[in-house]
Amino acid sequence: MDLVLIFLSAAIVNNFVLSYFLGICPFLGVSNKIEKSVSMGAATTFVMVLAALATWLINNYILIPYNMGYLQYVSFIIVIASLVQFVEMFIRKASPALYRGLGIFLPLITTNCAILGLALFAALRQYNFIQTVVFAFAAGVGFTLALVIMAGIREELDRAPVPEAFKGAPITLIIAGLLALAFMGFAGLISG
Amino acid sequence: MKESVRMIVVLTLVGLLSGGVLVYANNLTAPKIAQVREQNLKAAIYQVLPDVDSFKQSGENVYECFDKDGNLTGYALQAAGTGYQGTIKMIVGVDASRQKMTGILVLEQVETPGMGAKIAAPEFMDQFKGLTTSRNIEYVKNQKPETDYQIQAITGATVSSRSVVNIINNEVQGWLKTK
Amino acid sequence: MAENKVTLWYDFAKGLWDESPTFRQLLGMCPTLAVTNIAINGLAMGLATSFVLICSSVVVSMVRSLVPAGVRIPVYVVIIATFVTLADMFMAGNFPVISKALGPYVPLIVVNCIILGRAEAFASRNNVGRSFIDALGMGVGFSLALTVLGSVRELLGNGSVFGARILGSWFEPWVIMILPGGAFITLGLMIGGINMLRNRKKKPAPACEV
Repeated sequence: MDLVLIFLSAAIVNNFVLSYFLGICPFLGVSNKIEKSVSMGAATTFVMVLAALATWLINNYILIPYNMGYLQYVSFIIVIASLVQFVEMFIRKASPALYRGLGIFLPLITTNCAILGLALFAALRQYNFIQTVVFAFAAGVGFTLALVIMAGIREELDRAPVPEAFKGAPITLIIAGLLALAFMGFAGLISG
Repeated sequence: MKESVRMIVVLTLVGLLSGGVLVYANNLTAPKIAQVREQNLKAAIYQVLPDVDSFKQSGENVYECFDKDGNLTGYALQAAGTGYQGTIKMIVGVDASRQKMTGILVLEQVETPGMGAKIAAPEFMDQFKGLTTSRNIEYVKNQKPETDYQIQAITGATVSSRSVVNIINNEVQGWLKTK
Repeated sequence: MAENKVTLWYDFAKGLWDESPTFRQLLGMCPTLAVTNIAINGLAMGLATSFVLICSSVVVSMVRSLVPAGVRIPVYVVIIATFVTLADMFMAGNFPVISKALGPYVPLIVVNCIILGRAEAFASRNNVGRSFIDALGMGVGFSLALTVLGSVRELLGNGSVFGARILGSWFEPWVIMILPGGAFITLGLMIGGINMLRNRKKKPAPACEV
């Protein structure tokens, strides 16, 4: 039950993009085609789960036992950056086809605040191992969901007469605002 | 080859320097941060219990509070649970006889501003002063509470109000059972 | 000499308007949206980010010839994360209320694209003085944008600015303004408005593509 709550909360009710504002840069940049959004979402979800695992291990087996909480930010960001590099190399070797699909998104992911945000939130809320994995997966699903919905709307938007000055980022932000309001309707879903 | 050696040396040096700076800064600021935390807890306890001079932790979420002559004046319980949108954290004061609440204080909440967030307003929190601990608290809607185990829910924010009531009931009744 | 002054002034001033990180470059959007529900939070986040930006730009510029190209980014990231941790400790010790309100968005300064962006695009190629001025300009521009955004949202969502009541009791606060939805919509309208201003001044318009 607890895990279901964590999942729903991170994926829908407190959606990473629409209520925590994490991962806005790719949200604004990549969300113009549905296909691209799905690939980006999948790549991000994958890295999120790995990063959450790695930072959880570091936090609980190194930083907390040796009382080195002040090294948290530095170590988390190093882990995430090296992880992304490693994943990129691995995918390029193991599956060139997959690399062509996801590869170009991977470097972007290092500076995606959703990854670091996820690691920090999981540490802050003192999730255990399983909870962290579920949380990371749910956050990735939520990110993908927001990205894909936005891409769907933007594909239609190409045919709409948007004022010149509002084309691109401004209209995307305004739509995101309306989406965020719509997602507020899910609040209360998790409290019985 | 030479290049990669240089890369490793530079990275290691930067890492060591960064670590050194942070250890130093941590030693400087850690006592201050701990002091601020202590002060916050103190300030919160003072708000829910009258005449507190000192307190000591006596359980995972429980603080025993004493007046300046060292007499037990009551207990402060830390309680947390799920609200409408996220976690609500609060502190609940109970008198020394463990029969009445002396007050509550919402420490953290992310309820809807202007609606559920009113659970942190004095008008709502003051309703819990003097409620009985002998049974679960209940909430009533759109009318004044009639007994010493009722509070009035915030109009338009029943879920947030109910969450607060549930969190308090869980914590207080659970704690009473252990003693 | 005069020319030198002009360049330095340009290095500083471009961050305020022409290359405003928030309104023109659309960088650092997460904190921009997340903490600007009230003016004071926006200002605090702006100052904390400026501190990190200035310190890391200066350090990056100082070590720019020593760092091999291959480990450039990791070194920059470690430098940035170190200053972010320092800022976080300082705020937790001295401004606990604001530190709590900003919460996890303080550590997230590490991944604020403005900082790595300036380190990579400017500080790694210019001397310490110019890098300092550039970072200062970008920091002021970012703080300004966050404070303006926070003030607008606080005014409409709560009737006050920096906690001081401005609109009387007749004003029914627009709660939506301090909710996430309001953040997106306000920023979208502001960027659109600024684009309109610029378009009027000079055509053809540089379309604001991300």
